[in-house]
Amino acid sequence: MALISLKSVTKIYPLGHQEVVAVDEFSLSIDAGEFVVLAGPSGSGKTTLLNMIGCLDQPTRGEIWLDGHDIGCASQKELSDLRLRKVGFIFQDYNLIPVLTAAENAEFTLMLQQVEKKQRRKRVLDLFSALGLDGLENRKPSDLSGGQQQRVAIARAMASGPAVILADEPTASLDSQTSEELLLLMQKLNEEQGATFVFSSHDPLVISHAKRVVRLRDGRLESDQ
Amino acid sequence: MLYQLALRNIWRNRRRTLLTLSAMIISSALLILALGIFSGMLRDMLVSATEQYYGHLVVNSSGYQDDRDMFRHFEMSPDLEDVFKQDEIIGASQRLRGFGLLSHEEESAPSEVLGILPSQEKNVTNLQDSLISGKYLTPDDRGGAVIGAGLARRLHVVPGDQLVFVTQSADGSIGNDLIEVRGVFSTGDVGHDNGLILVPLVWLQRVLVLPGKIHEIALRTDDPLNAAELASQYRPALPENMEILDWGEMLPEMAEVVASYDVSRMIIVTILYIATGLGILNTFFMAVMERTREFGVLMALGMRPGQIRTMILLETTVMGSLGLMCGAFLGVLLSLYMAIVGVDLSGTLTPITYAGGTILPRLHAVIEPGNIVIPSVCLLIVSLLAGFLPANRAAKMQPVVAIRKD
Repeated sequence: MALISLKSVTKIYPLGHQEVVAVDEFSLSIDAGEFVVLAGPSGSGKTTLLNMIGCLDQPTRGEIWLDGHDIGCASQKELSDLRLRKVGFIFQDYNLIPVLTAAENAEFTLMLQQVEKKQRRKRVLDLFSALGLDGLENRKPSDLSGGQQQRVAIARAMASGPAVILADEPTASLDSQTSEELLLLMQKLNEEQGATFVFSSHDPLVISHAKRVVRLRDGRLESDQ
Repeated sequence: MLYQLALRNIWRNRRRTLLTLSAMIISSALLILALGIFSGMLRDMLVSATEQYYGHLVVNSSGYQDDRDMFRHFEMSPDLEDVFKQDEIIGASQRLRGFGLLSHEEESAPSEVLGILPSQEKNVTNLQDSLISGKYLTPDDRGGAVIGAGLARRLHVVPGDQLVFVTQSADGSIGNDLIEVRGVFSTGDVGHDNGLILVPLVWLQRVLVLPGKIHEIALRTDDPLNAAELASQYRPALPENMEILDWGEMLPEMAEVVASYDVSRMIIVTILYIATGLGILNTFFMAVMERTREFGVLMALGMRPGQIRTMILLETTVMGSLGLMCGAFLGVLLSLYMAIVGVDLSGTLTPITYAGGTILPRLHAVIEPGNIVIPSVCLLIVSLLAGFLPANRAAKMQPVVAIRKD
């Protein structure tokens, strides 16, 4: 059974007195361990799809299944739980919590899951080591570079071992060398730890690292290679 | 975790936090001080009305206070004395009252003459503290008097001068005698300063030909606001033709003033805290609005709306508690200063007699638990209310919308 399954998904947003169809009759299936990029120009529906897969939004029509859970029928509380247990987010602007240290940011979802302090600190230190963040545990986000912040964001997304890690334009705020390093890191995590990554991006660098590229145009599936 | 996050969020914008805290601290401290001074004025009025003359409770023959008829007298008995041997009664003074004409050389004036036992009267009233010249009566004094300042001015007398008192005695004869001015008192109460004279009880009993008789027993209690309750407690133990009145029955206008105090206090508290609350609400709303995107991220990471709400409420509660503690501390310090030192306004203001009491020309605070607890509790409630609205708003945000906010 697929980890993520979208069946004829449509998402319509009201815009004043009009309606905008962001995603139109879209179907897709992603298995565990894949490294997928949703590619397409701005307004093609990549972020909308990612938000729905990540339980931040629900489809207007159609079905979305995540690890056996029907997102379209879930309550707000169930969506919160699914986000906590099944999804890890990496944002374009990192979105680290400014009052927490790097390690505390990475531990955040584990804290929400009430994992014991010693256990979560070990998990985060292992991730920091794998991501080249040794020695930066106690720094505040404002004391880290963009690349370091995004690595902390990756650690945060990976920490609780979610079913899927969703990355919305993760390299958009980074220079090409840092982007390359990060993509290699995520590829390594995908290969060594079997983490499932779904990106939304129109960055050719990201697309070149993907094992599978799903192209969208005007909310519809254009190609799946 | 929520507590830790809330605490750190408070200090992320120190300048704003300090400004909000200052508003909380200053408003609660000033309110505590204002209520303390307000209580001080009320206490001054109550003290002037009861502790200068009436006492907190008065026992007399039924109906005596209505007409002050000379013949409604009684004798002190051991049974009656036993009624007032209670912990709450800190003083009892036997009194005989007469009305007549006082003269000195060419001057004369009508006056109320109160026969007292100086050692007992000192435990009930505090006229001895209002002397402006001379001295108070001593227990063995048989022919001295303490006279109101207005009356002394009118009769042109000073301590050492002799007065003639003329009145109608109980046996129908004209009673008269000489009495020497020992001291002059000034209370600020025009009625007493212009018409009252205190004399030894035995002297007045002789002049009125009422040996061993008294008209009333004035009592002082440990808490004047409890006087009415004590009166109803003692009433059943009194002989049939006797009554006990609390100061509220003797001075109904003063009782009204005291009753309206609580209402006035709540009005002041409400007005001040509406203003403060709007300021705090504005700050908290701003703090929440600018963190909209962050709340979206927290929800994306799996934080529940209820946890977001709790976190913001914790922030406001911590701020409120901190403001409350510092505000109460500062308020008590200011009130202590005003209670011990105060501000004397006698240079610019004169005493005002109102509802049987006198508002003295001074700012003097009284520290009462209610004046500290009410502003403190109100500040906490205002902080929680001001925090609840933005907290609720943040909790109701859709994560996908919140996350898009700049």
